[in-house]
Amino acid sequence: MDHDTIVKTVNSIFVERFELDESELTPDKRIIEDLQLDSLDLVDMIVGLQQKFGIMLRDNPEVRAVRTLGDVYTLFEKLAKEHPEIAEKFQ
Amino acid sequence: MEKRRAAVTGIGVVSPLGNSAADLYRGLVENRSGIRAMTEWHDEFGRDIAGAPVKLDPAVVKQISRKVRRTMGNTALFAGLAAQEAVTQSGLDPAVFTSGRVGCIIGSTVGSPSSMTEACVAEYEGRRNDLSACHFFRIMSHSASFNVADMFGINGPQLSTNSACASGLQALGAALELIQLGKVDAVLAGGADESTPMVSSSFQLLYALAEEESPEPERLSRPFDAARTGLVCGEGAGILVVEEMEHARKRGAQILFEIAGYATNCSGWHVSHSDELQIANCMRNALADAGITPGEVDYVSAHATGTRVGDAAEAAACRAVFGSEVPVSSLKGHLGHTLGASGSLELAAVYGMMRDGIVLPTRNLEQVEDCAGILLPREIREQKVRICVKNSIAFGGVNASLVCRSAD
Repeated sequence: MDHDTIVKTVNSIFVERFELDESELTPDKRIIEDLQLDSLDLVDMIVGLQQKFGIMLRDNPEVRAVRTLGDVYTLFEKLAKEHPEIAEKFQ
Repeated sequence: MEKRRAAVTGIGVVSPLGNSAADLYRGLVENRSGIRAMTEWHDEFGRDIAGAPVKLDPAVVKQISRKVRRTMGNTALFAGLAAQEAVTQSGLDPAVFTSGRVGCIIGSTVGSPSSMTEACVAEYEGRRNDLSACHFFRIMSHSASFNVADMFGINGPQLSTNSACASGLQALGAALELIQLGKVDAVLAGGADESTPMVSSSFQLLYALAEEESPEPERLSRPFDAARTGLVCGEGAGILVVEEMEHARKRGAQILFEIAGYATNCSGWHVSHSDELQIANCMRNALADAGITPGEVDYVSAHATGTRVGDAAEAAACRAVFGSEVPVSSLKGHLGHTLGASGSLELAAVYGMMRDGIVLPTRNLEQVEDCAGILLPREIREQKVRICVKNSIAFGGVNASLVCRSAD
């Protein structure tokens, strides 16, 4: 699964669920401080990531540790290698 | 000690006849119906039953910030949009809302039946983990009230009068009492509800729904009429700014009308059967609370939904309290039954009647049989409406009556 697909998929969650403009979504953006997500949004970010990538994340400590949008991209590059079902979902 | 008085300084409406108090009133004066065939519910009922839905403009909905909107089901959304109109009309300084002296009291039958259905389907299909973190906040019984409080930063008392179809009127009554007690200076108060197949089928099960498929669905809601077969479910919200009279006068606000008295009671014996004695007692208690005699009342805005038993009981109660000389009408022939919204939503139209000196008739009322003995206008009646009584009657045996006095 390539980087661009991961970025596009992650960003779609922020556009659809949090009504953010695509142009705001750069890797350096801090999810809470810059993109203004709060605790409820963070839960919905996880729900959105689960739905888009087809894996359960609720109990994954790494997803709860992300701070920037770039952290989310990096996490999913790692998870895509560990979980072949993610790549299968995007074939 | 003299009671503090409560003025209404803002009115907001989301209704089957339009999403402003002016649209609602204009539609009623023009004798239009908000009822149509619910073709989108055909699969649930196997035919096109009637309903009175609200139509929202998505662009207007988006004017509510995402962080408030995300926890709103349609019920709360209707309440939020109506509240915005009411607050704008009131001219209240936004700083007042964060003073701790403003409350928010909004009731509904259920927090959001559509959201509840979505949650049940997700649970049944094993998709619990797909639900948003916000979902439960849409279902909670006080969803409309806390969401509207958050819209305006209201940090005084936040209550929810969830008594089904009496919710809106009980909210206004509670607002009056908080003002009389000196606990608040103003309250955003009223009711909201959304209609879904689940809601309509709840009435259908009890043989209380006008459920036949008709080429003229707008004729199915027939309060007080001999040929009535049940109610038609509607939806919407009516939210009022209820303000302590001197507080409103000092800031130069326009007083639309006064809420002068209130009572609520229950039958104590049956959850769905209307009790004419207790409906009459409720109206008498509200009049006593206002210090007004039945002979001073110019108009009764009835609850009358179009059910066989309910309309007859309310007509009998009105006959017992007012005799045959006070005009009585129900707006549910035009609007269907907007459930928890109905009391406050219909009161928004009653304000127009007080302002313009008219009584609106009951749409589709053609022949009176078992509801005889009260004055039921069949067309617009020009007369002064200085004092009016608004009734709501709800499942649970609950009754509520509000006494209002015009501003002149």
